[in-house]
Amino acid sequence: MLKGLGNLVLKELKELMRDPKILIGMILMPLIIFPIIGGIVGASMEAAKEKLAEMSIMVWNHDNGSYARNFTRYLSNSGIKIHEIEASTLEEAVSLMLNYNATLLIVIPEDFSKNISNVLEGNALVGAEVEVFGVFGGGGVFEEIGVSVIDSLIESYNRRKAPNPIRLRKSTVVKGEILFGVDPSMVAGLMMMQSIMLPIMIMMLLTFAMQIAATSVAMEKEEKTLETLLTLPIGRFTILAGKLAGSIIVAAVGALAYLVGFSFYMGSFIGAIPTEELNLDLASLGLAPSALGYVLLGTSLFVSLLSALALAIILSAFAENVRSAQSLIGFIYPLIFVPSFVLMYLDISLLPFPLRILILAIPYSHPILTSKAVIMGDHLTAVLGILYVSAFTVAILYVAAKLFATEKILTVKLRMKSFRRKKKTK
Amino acid sequence: MDYAVEAERLVKVFGGVKALDELSFHVKKGEIFGLIGPNGAGKTTALRIVSTLLLPNSGRVGVFGLDVVEKANEVRMILSYLPEEAGAYPNLSGLEYLEFMARFKAETKLQVKELVKEAVTISGLGERLKDKVKTYSKGMKRRLLVARALMGKPKLAVLDEPTSGLDVLHSYHVRETIKRYVENHGITVLLSSHNMLEVDYLCDRVVLLNKGKIVAEGSPKQLKEKFESKNLEEVFAKVVKIA
Repeated sequence: MLKGLGNLVLKELKELMRDPKILIGMILMPLIIFPIIGGIVGASMEAAKEKLAEMSIMVWNHDNGSYARNFTRYLSNSGIKIHEIEASTLEEAVSLMLNYNATLLIVIPEDFSKNISNVLEGNALVGAEVEVFGVFGGGGVFEEIGVSVIDSLIESYNRRKAPNPIRLRKSTVVKGEILFGVDPSMVAGLMMMQSIMLPIMIMMLLTFAMQIAATSVAMEKEEKTLETLLTLPIGRFTILAGKLAGSIIVAAVGALAYLVGFSFYMGSFIGAIPTEELNLDLASLGLAPSALGYVLLGTSLFVSLLSALALAIILSAFAENVRSAQSLIGFIYPLIFVPSFVLMYLDISLLPFPLRILILAIPYSHPILTSKAVIMGDHLTAVLGILYVSAFTVAILYVAAKLFATEKILTVKLRMKSFRRKKKTK
Repeated sequence: MDYAVEAERLVKVFGGVKALDELSFHVKKGEIFGLIGPNGAGKTTALRIVSTLLLPNSGRVGVFGLDVVEKANEVRMILSYLPEEAGAYPNLSGLEYLEFMARFKAETKLQVKELVKEAVTISGLGERLKDKVKTYSKGMKRRLLVARALMGKPKLAVLDEPTSGLDVLHSYHVRETIKRYVENHGITVLLSSHNMLEVDYLCDRVVLLNKGKIVAEGSPKQLKEKFESKNLEEVFAKVVKIA
């Protein structure tokens, strides 16, 4: 019944595998991209570990009892740098964290030793409460590691002195404001969720838009409608602008649909987590962009989108048909995927210097960086990113406009054909 | 004499290959002028240069006195180009496609309406124009595109193989449309074709190209007499063999 199948499969394999676009785009690129992403993430995790080793904690001890001294000594012996401080108010203590470059402040209360003694002697069930204040610095893996270190240290201390004499009460310091009772790891977790969602959305938006623009130009070339358009009494830049605008609108609708769908997806399992901080959202924590922040984020996305579309149009000019245009677009994907995956989990400040420069040089990193920066109120980073991407966009648009203004938009393919012909005749 | 098209010593090189080699020809106003020749002779390249799509490496082309390089936009106002085997936007209806194209030529909505009405008549596709282009046969698509190229009575219509790949009925319709349109409106047509019967029927004068050069020139009748041939196909075979 399947007579001849082997012959057909062989023909298919020869036909597909000899197409350099498929060979490079589908086979070689993944073999290159994923090791690169893995390498960058690995190097960044090493940097995160080193930063963790440098982590310092401030201890504000209100108790002169032996258990307080014992607890402080225990923290020092754990290998973490401890700074014991004196302060008159909590606000003053929090402000000192910057001086000591500390990410956590542990407050040992006055009755710490007394309460621990009571628990250990069986006179009380409730032990000493230690307050921990974590400074939220913008999300990423390191934020969560910092708090989890304290959790494990207290757990280990409690195991030694069982039954659990120390309880933790966690609070978070966000942009200098103390949010009492808000667990820093919870904030970091929320921020992580945001950090994953935004790059995915941006990644999807850019790839959608590029596919649309490239397909649109390639279809015009394939159907020869582009030739007709180019002989109409309209400016060549108008044709290019029409292509860009159409692609942006369709991509934006696509991205919106994706965002709505993704929000439902995220919401479906966030709602299933039974935590008392369920009502936490980044806006209530002061971790939402300001009006200016939203404008900057929108601008950053717009210029990045524009440059991606112009780049896609330039590449598709070299394509003979829709399939080859889509394969050619695949060559730009590393520029979108690598920063998205890296910045999804890591803060750029954690990256080794050369990698930081590399990520900053890729224009498609900047919408993601901007999205993180505006949340933390860092508008300068956003503005610098926009300026950089705008300059890149102007350069790319110039090349695209030049391509449309000349016969090259039609002749690139012709040249490739004649090149092949020449090769064959040799 | 004022010519519709004056091509002088055109040279076009693609990656070291000379597509046109000092090609010169003149098209009179109101005539149907044919470029014929084997594949790769340079017909499409010449038509693309006349239509402002390609730039010559050297030489010049004037369309109604306008230089196609210097005055490309003015040339585009009076010219209409139909590429070989061109398509239309598959997700637009035939009417939407015609409206889209008419908007570039007309200034008012009324003018757009008139242009579309004219194109509807030329195409002869009737109610099918309300359907999406992707549902059209090759012949229907070509009739739509010929109607688009002729609507608005362009001073010069450049048609690259207008009946290529069409069946007898659609070819007949397209040929008759071109012939009648030129007779009724006095426009000039520059076309290329592989169909020698079509060239014989339509063209007032032809040039026969081979390897980017003119190898014979004249009216179909003159060429048949000169090469002592029964038809243009025989002329073509003799001339190309000699070349």
